[in-house]
Amino acid sequence: MKQILLITDGCSNVGLSPVVAAAHAYSDGISVNVVGVLDHGDVGELGAAEIDEIARAGGGLSRMVNTRQLSQTVQMMTRKTVVQTIQLAVQKELKHVLGNGSIEALPPEKRGDVVRVIDELGETSSLQVALLIDASASMKPKLAAVEEAIRDLMLSLQARQGKSEISVFHFPGSRHGDDCVMDLGWTSHLNGVNGIFPRLQMGGTTPTGPAIMQVIEFYRQGDYGRQSRDETDGMMSDYVV
Amino acid sequence: MTTSFKVELRRGMVVTGKWKQGRYKVDRLLGEGANGKVYLVQRDRSWYALKLGVDAIDLQSEINVLQSLAKQKQHGQETFLFDVDDLYGPDGKEYPFYIMRYVLGTTLGDFLKQQGMEWFPLVGLNLLGKLAKLHQAGWVFGDLKVENVLVADYGHVELVDYGGVTASGKGIRQFTEIYDRGYWNGGSRSADPEYDLFSFGVLCIQLHEPKRLHQLTMELLPLNRSTGELIQIAESSQALKPIASWLSKAFAGQYRNAEEASSAWRLLMHRRDTRRTAKTPGWLKGLAAASAVLLGTSVYWLLRNGL
Repeated sequence: MKQILLITDGCSNVGLSPVVAAAHAYSDGISVNVVGVLDHGDVGELGAAEIDEIARAGGGLSRMVNTRQLSQTVQMMTRKTVVQTIQLAVQKELKHVLGNGSIEALPPEKRGDVVRVIDELGETSSLQVALLIDASASMKPKLAAVEEAIRDLMLSLQARQGKSEISVFHFPGSRHGDDCVMDLGWTSHLNGVNGIFPRLQMGGTTPTGPAIMQVIEFYRQGDYGRQSRDETDGMMSDYVV
Repeated sequence: MTTSFKVELRRGMVVTGKWKQGRYKVDRLLGEGANGKVYLVQRDRSWYALKLGVDAIDLQSEINVLQSLAKQKQHGQETFLFDVDDLYGPDGKEYPFYIMRYVLGTTLGDFLKQQGMEWFPLVGLNLLGKLAKLHQAGWVFGDLKVENVLVADYGHVELVDYGGVTASGKGIRQFTEIYDRGYWNGGSRSADPEYDLFSFGVLCIQLHEPKRLHQLTMELLPLNRSTGELIQIAESSQALKPIASWLSKAFAGQYRNAEEASSAWRLLMHRRDTRRTAKTPGWLKGLAAASAVLLGTSVYWLLRNGL
């Protein structure tokens, strides 16, 4: 199971539409969840609509929260999306039994058996979550909460029976032409990781769409995590639209 | 994250199960959990609790837990789960629900406020007993908190909201941050009996020192949250001091299960200093104040008249 979790606080303003990018992800079997973090005021109507639409296109969930709710939200969303992904797969498998395709259409007694299978698979199948963090200037005061949420997510994932890994990216990249930068490659623990975002230079544009595309590419090339940052950045320039 | 839950059943409404045609008359809302709302309903002159869910999968997974628990129940215990069905909400959409036994009682916090803190040691013991039964059957309650414990007359305890109940060894399905072992950097989020005992410890602090606990969650940086901070509250609190050593062991995961924890609790309960933690009754304080005033007045009177 593959997920992208986008944490942002506003609208994208450069490059490919993030909605298109999220649709790309979904067609690659990656669900996209989006958390909008609003602390001072509002993400604006436009931002809210975009956040909602990215998640729709990416087959995931979206939520608006303040920093205090961030950890709990990230953890719950990831869990819910796992169940949802498996539910869809099971529904496909059981098409001949389910008829119109939804588990809700089954009588409660039969539903119990199907849900038991979903729960079991949700707990044991392997899971990868790529966290994509908006590091535009307005996000700066929220980054500590973001880091905490990432650590908290890792803790929850470690309690699963299946293999779980996370990776962390932020955008925009530090130099012109980078859409996003990898902060942490696939890992299943954060022991010894002291700061996920060291020496982060905040600011610049908000290329949400191109950044999502770059993470999709990271997924495609499964072994990217072992390569250096610069290489990762360089390879992705193809996707700058 | 709270589920956005807009559907509402109103008083006097009669809902009918889609599959089994059970008819239930809605009385009032009893409470709200992470997975849905709980209503008091009536069927054939008996009272039940109806849990209405938004997500069929989530609710079913909770029902599965209740059903496996029911199968493991020893003889002589009351049935808990009566009916599982779907209903059409006022908005015309289908919602899953289940019917369980209605537990008469107030939430733990309210009970102690109304009946007095002197009930706390006994209620705590009864709660540990409930947890012990779950643990013996291979389950962990998960989302233990003040709101999920109902207390009836004479300190009889009942756990409600089984949305967090998790089979031992799996990842806790649902939890509340301040009661969570992981939140306090006190260990993993895997379901084991020690997890519940940790939450039980936080629950004790929440009952006696809610303000200081809240303060701690606001002030501490995530990396600095530790069980040591919790123990510090316990040790400097008049009410918690007698159980501070018990709490440290619970936070350190030194009780292997609720049974062990409950025998240690029982030992504490029969010590004098624990029992004496009950606050001085209000009338006694009033009396003391009154006599002080009286003394003051008489001294004044004596001084004025005598000299």
